[in-house]
Amino acid sequence: MNVDQTRSDGESLRAARDDVVAGPLRRADLRAALTDLFDQWLRDALGDESDVALVAVGGYGRGALAPGSDLDVVLLHGGRADVKELADRIWYPIWDSGIKLDHSVRTVDEATGVAREDLKAMLGLLDVRHVAGDAELSSSLRTQVLAAWRRDARRRLPDLRAAVHERAEKYGELAFLLEPDLKEARGGLRDVHAMHAAAAAWIVDAPGDDVKDAAARLMDVRGELHRCSSRSGDRLVLQEQTAVASALGYDDADALMRDVYDAARTIAFTADEMWRRVDAALRPPRRWRQRQPTRRPLADGVVEQEGEVMLARDAAPERDPALVLRAAAAAAQAGLPLSRHALDRLADDSAPMPEPWPEAARDALLSLLGSGPDLVAVWEALDQRGIVVRLVPEWAAVRCHPQRNAIHRFTVDRHLVEAVVEAAALTRRVSRPDLLLLGALFHDIGKGYPGDHTDAGVELLPTIGARLGLRAVDTEMLVTLVRHHLLLPDTATRRDLDDPATVRLVADAVGDRTTLELLHALTVADARATGPAAWGDWKARLVDDLVARTAGVLAGAPAPVEDLLDASQRELAEAGVLDVHVDGDRVTVVAPDRPGLLWRWAGVLALHRLQIRSATATSVDHMAVTVFDVSPRFGSLPDWSAVRADLRRMYDDASSLSSALAERDRAYARASTLEPPPPRVIWADDASESATVLEVRAHDAVGLLYRLTSALADAGLDVQSARMSTLGAEVVDAFYVVDAAGRKVEDPLQRQRIEDLLVTACRRPA
Amino acid sequence: MKLVTAVVKPFKLDDVKQALHDLGVAGMTVAEVHGHGRQRGHSEVYRGAEYVVDFVPKVRLEVVVDDATVTTVVDAIVDAARTGQIGDGKVWVTAVEELVRIRTGERGPDAL
Repeated sequence: MNVDQTRSDGESLRAARDDVVAGPLRRADLRAALTDLFDQWLRDALGDESDVALVAVGGYGRGALAPGSDLDVVLLHGGRADVKELADRIWYPIWDSGIKLDHSVRTVDEATGVAREDLKAMLGLLDVRHVAGDAELSSSLRTQVLAAWRRDARRRLPDLRAAVHERAEKYGELAFLLEPDLKEARGGLRDVHAMHAAAAAWIVDAPGDDVKDAAARLMDVRGELHRCSSRSGDRLVLQEQTAVASALGYDDADALMRDVYDAARTIAFTADEMWRRVDAALRPPRRWRQRQPTRRPLADGVVEQEGEVMLARDAAPERDPALVLRAAAAAAQAGLPLSRHALDRLADDSAPMPEPWPEAARDALLSLLGSGPDLVAVWEALDQRGIVVRLVPEWAAVRCHPQRNAIHRFTVDRHLVEAVVEAAALTRRVSRPDLLLLGALFHDIGKGYPGDHTDAGVELLPTIGARLGLRAVDTEMLVTLVRHHLLLPDTATRRDLDDPATVRLVADAVGDRTTLELLHALTVADARATGPAAWGDWKARLVDDLVARTAGVLAGAPAPVEDLLDASQRELAEAGVLDVHVDGDRVTVVAPDRPGLLWRWAGVLALHRLQIRSATATSVDHMAVTVFDVSPRFGSLPDWSAVRADLRRMYDDASSLSSALAERDRAYARASTLEPPPPRVIWADDASESATVLEVRAHDAVGLLYRLTSALADAGLDVQSARMSTLGAEVVDAFYVVDAAGRKVEDPLQRQRIEDLLVTACRRPA
Repeated sequence: MKLVTAVVKPFKLDDVKQALHDLGVAGMTVAEVHGHGRQRGHSEVYRGAEYVVDFVPKVRLEVVVDDATVTTVVDAIVDAARTGQIGDGKVWVTAVEELVRIRTGERGPDAL
């Protein structure tokens, strides 16, 4: 590391730097060599001066120099008058060398003062390291800066956090971008520096070895990126990935990117947890608020406490395999993070999921998938703990999987999760939101396997469907969705839509309108989750046109209606009296028909904290038969004799029902600010001869069926029959209604009024 | 030199591209555009209300060619893009005063 002092200082510095960069050193050795080189050069340049010191700050202070890094140097002095000349003597040769210099000349007090005002200056000075001159000056700067940082932590850490957040918004997430910025992106090196800064304030512990190792890997890659590209940019673009991979001894660019993604995930995940601890530490002391933290129930075995989702005291993941999904769904639906402790327990103690999955687990998965943008953070937390791969082993193949493709922006796994988020916004467009969400989650699952990704996906799906316990017809539908997930955009942009053969081809592949509707929504979700180049008004118009034409060809085949009642239900009906029959979680209520029965039954079940998973209502010979499949909202099933008694009481007089329910509603007020897609009411005019069929698609909520059915009663409608299903967090309810005179509802104004009432009913009462 | 601009139906892009490659045309610029010609878009029924779709998705491609090959290139585009239906699009030719290949600084026909 000898600097040739016979040449001009600037030239020799430049030549020495270029020698190191061109040499055989890599990784930490390269960083150390660059740091030593500049340290020695600065020591020689300063010479024997008193009352001054040169200190390295920022990345140079940490000894983390990459070939293209700036040199951050402060010339400290104790008030020397000739400091300007001294500074010029040092800075000019560096400027001449072309190496980027970030410099300042300050007294210790000035430097501390600047740091107290400017966050960036403060972060740089936290890494201050003595290089040359008076070591006393350097160490007193270090002491003052740290003291100021600790004193101001309460005021400044929120600023630091805001800066971290802003950077994440701007640069995206390192772990999921195909061309990520190693320094600025979320999970990048700046996040590590922010963690160290928070630790320096003595608010939280310093990050552990896993983060240090991850940061070192990113620095290694950054160094090689600078070297291979001869630039100082930190964005790991596709064209440099192969050269960087071979310089660092990876098998290929994919192996490099997987390692980079893995490091970034570790950093991002640890940083998130650390910031939550910082928040908790900075909250006002509890005596200002209340003595005991409140625990609000969110789902069976899942509670919210101080903005995190935790397990209830009696929750037992070792006996309750669905708990992990229930907790995740509750967290994502409420827009809150799972607590670290809850994650630890769910990761370490969860019982293996029985195969096929029980219905409760499937429901919780769908509810999780339907939660919208908050899914991303929860899914990432589950994935980080290996829970996703345990539940869906096929996920391992797409995890951190890069895509060499100009249109895609994300890794395969993140693309799938983003597609689910996009799909959740489209659930009102389809009659099977559950299949849309699962289709989005698995449409590219084949990308982790050899061969054509669509073929691989089609092969994997039956196994996945069987494991999840889907009905065979639903698995088939999923296979169709995966097989044809590129059919609509490919056809719309490459075939003549005016040619009837084009439309016929799509109609034959798709088969029916339900599938077409699903495929259309999946196409939009997939494209939006791909990147800005994959979707836009132009392509949307072509796809819409194709879908409209195909729908025209597929019109006129309504779904077959199954016989709604089985023999034992008919028998109950024939008895002709009010009766309640309970079998496991299935409740059958028969009663002499009268208007408004459905909302009474739904209200009583809600009152007893029962969620209605699905229901059918029909009548035979003036007897109304309603079958509910229920599950308890919390804990175990209720005392059925009390439910029976309430059902009988409300049959005669339901005047007390609404106030009792309002009381109950207040007990589970939810803090979530989450905005599900708005409810939608669809009139299916051709579906029945005698009644008007209207379908309500909405986000599930406590007592929703009660509110919908009482809204129908308020509108003066009689529900002749109904089929209601809850699909994850979404409900799709079809009601066959007639007006008071027994006629179909056809007047557009009346329909509008009914729609308004139903939409209002979907909102939670204030 | 001439600039040949064509607006064609999206699904015809591949055919036109192939036809131009067969003629040895080396490069082209393609954009997704919306537009309408004499047929003024078409009308659609959405939620009971008829509305006019003014602009329909089209593809615009541009290629700069030698004066000698203009006619062949235009004919090739027309042949490849024609379906005989309304909305097949248009091709037009404009004069180009200067052309520079940015990388090398070559000018005129050499830069083609």
